[in-house]
Amino acid sequence: MIEVLNGLKYTSHLIFHPFDGFWDLKHEKRGNLKAAVVIIVLLCITFILRRQMTGFIFNLSDPDELNIVNEILSVILPFALWCVSNWCLTSLMEGEGSFKDIIITSAFALTPLILVNVPLLFISNALTIHEGAFYHFFNSLAVLWAGVLLILGTMVLHQYTLTRTLLTSIFIVVGMGVIIFIGLLFFSMLQQMFAFVYTVYLEISLRM
Amino acid sequence: MKRKTLYILLLISAFVFGSLPTKAQEPFFSYTYDYWGEPVPAPHAFLPTNRIDGFTLGIDHFDNPRDLFAADDGRLFIADTGNNRIVVLGNDLRSAEILKNFETPDGTQAFYQPEGVFVTKGGDIYIADTGNSRIIHLDNEGKYVRTIGSPKADIIPADFVFSPTKLAVDNAGRIYVVASGVTQGIMMLDAYGIFRGFIGASRVTPGVMDIFWRAVATEAQRERMLLFVPTEFNNITIDDEGFLYVTTDKLSYWDILHAVNARSRDDRVAPVRKLNPTGVDVLRREGFFPPVGDVYFDYMEQSQLVDVSVADYGIYSVLDRRKGRIFTYDPDGNLLFIFGGLGGARLGTFRNPVAIERIGDRILVLDSMRASITIFDITEYGSLLKDAVVLHRTGDYEASTEKWREVLRRNSNSDLAYIGMGMAYMRKDDFSSALEHFRLGAMRERYSRAFQLYRREVIGRNFGIIALLLLVPLVTFVLIRRRNGKLTGKRPQYD
Repeated sequence: MIEVLNGLKYTSHLIFHPFDGFWDLKHEKRGNLKAAVVIIVLLCITFILRRQMTGFIFNLSDPDELNIVNEILSVILPFALWCVSNWCLTSLMEGEGSFKDIIITSAFALTPLILVNVPLLFISNALTIHEGAFYHFFNSLAVLWAGVLLILGTMVLHQYTLTRTLLTSIFIVVGMGVIIFIGLLFFSMLQQMFAFVYTVYLEISLRM
Repeated sequence: MKRKTLYILLLISAFVFGSLPTKAQEPFFSYTYDYWGEPVPAPHAFLPTNRIDGFTLGIDHFDNPRDLFAADDGRLFIADTGNNRIVVLGNDLRSAEILKNFETPDGTQAFYQPEGVFVTKGGDIYIADTGNSRIIHLDNEGKYVRTIGSPKADIIPADFVFSPTKLAVDNAGRIYVVASGVTQGIMMLDAYGIFRGFIGASRVTPGVMDIFWRAVATEAQRERMLLFVPTEFNNITIDDEGFLYVTTDKLSYWDILHAVNARSRDDRVAPVRKLNPTGVDVLRREGFFPPVGDVYFDYMEQSQLVDVSVADYGIYSVLDRRKGRIFTYDPDGNLLFIFGGLGGARLGTFRNPVAIERIGDRILVLDSMRASITIFDITEYGSLLKDAVVLHRTGDYEASTEKWREVLRRNSNSDLAYIGMGMAYMRKDDFSSALEHFRLGAMRERYSRAFQLYRREVIGRNFGIIALLLLVPLVTFVLIRRRNGKLTGKRPQYD
């Protein structure tokens, strides 16, 4: 419990001092897997709240179509893909980080999304369309900030140079696409296989 | 024994007649679309009351009639294309008069496949005599005045075959002609019948791919590429102020789908346009979706608008041939109601609706395959909705609010009514009620405006408390820090 709290407290330092922060995250053991999971859960909650509680003016999602599972998947799935793809590629490209380190680093890098979006929830209920620029600015800021942290985190974790990190990041994104493709292929093959086995079974059972 | 039989008979008749519906079920569903593009059931705004055909008029049956025109004097003109005649109904829509032959200085002539008819305020009759490639101008009594033949100009190819299908004439006597095969727009002829140019041509905006192919194409290929085809119009109507309303059904499924999804407000993909005298589209598209007919449709099932009819104050109805529905919009482009359907056998349904007209609060739809005119009368709900819009346009906001309230009592799904009520609350400076109604009407722009005023009001009224709530923690914070001897925050130190 206390280590989780310490981990979460550490994010306030990390997001402003990414280079030192990510180094210590791994080598001084400032972060841990439990804190990373808590961050991801909080992020899921933030996304659900954002969908439901953003002010009417800025909330363009149909309340009829709320599906909490979809909202959670929209966080977990890209995150998991990123981590797996990151691990796959950096293992091949002499990265220093283990899979656990990658999960912790990536999760901690996403904290700006929570820290910016939660206050923005309240602010969005007090703004008019004309002041919407603020809302959209902070929205983009959160994404940008998290993106930069994600790249810097990868860089520090694997001890890469900046150009190498950027290149790797592009590969990671491509890798995510490849994983999705293979996943879909796998499921479709599985489906076909099941269908085949079932037809064979049907054929035999009808002839018996 | 006799008594028993009587009882049994009574019982049977009770079952039989008791189960019969007391009132005929309406032949179609009326609905509108909400902010999310979902069809929402709505009360009927118009209901069919009568059907007119050759039999009820005591004349030969219509054969593939193509156009309908309600003249200002109450007469109804029908272009009975297959019978090569124009049928003129009197005010009561019971008596019929037939225009078939007319005397010209060159002898008696007849129409051949006339597809369009128009009558000016003065009573002059213009007929698009399609099969004869000409426009015939008759006077009030049906006497021949002149023939307007194929237009001649440099921009019209020599081998051009003039087949006018629909036409409109403005107060200055200029004739606007929709001719089949013409993709440059509406042909404008001056009062003397001399061609003056095309108007209302749709802007052709090449996409990224077009630009790319243009860049890599050879000279010869580029020559051929110039021929991408703009919109071809299929119908035209003119309103009292001289604005032309035109429709087209040549837009692709993808274009319409994109316009709906993007909630497009421009005129590039617009199956209905309102043109000012210089040919610029001025139709307002301020509704949740652009006026394209159905907003939710299957692949290649988009509405196919074939005619438009304008009522007073710019309320207009368009006719969808594919699904047999009539969509009515207010002058801002808000969808008011949808009614009608396909079928043909039951009153109020169509097989191939081709033209729509209005006579006061009646809507008349001409069905070319069923060879009949269906008359729809406005319902209580429809007239409430219409009155609410009209009263708002004329500035009688109090009365308009009352009407919106009544609309809301009959249809609690009416976004327009919520918006109308919200605007009424705005005028009364009751911002919180306005907010609630704009939210229910999904009107974000007005909600934002109401919210701005509401926020100012709340802050103004509670300024003391808000200032206190902000100041107290700040002062406490500073005081505590000062007592601890530090003004700068103590943060956990990570080396």
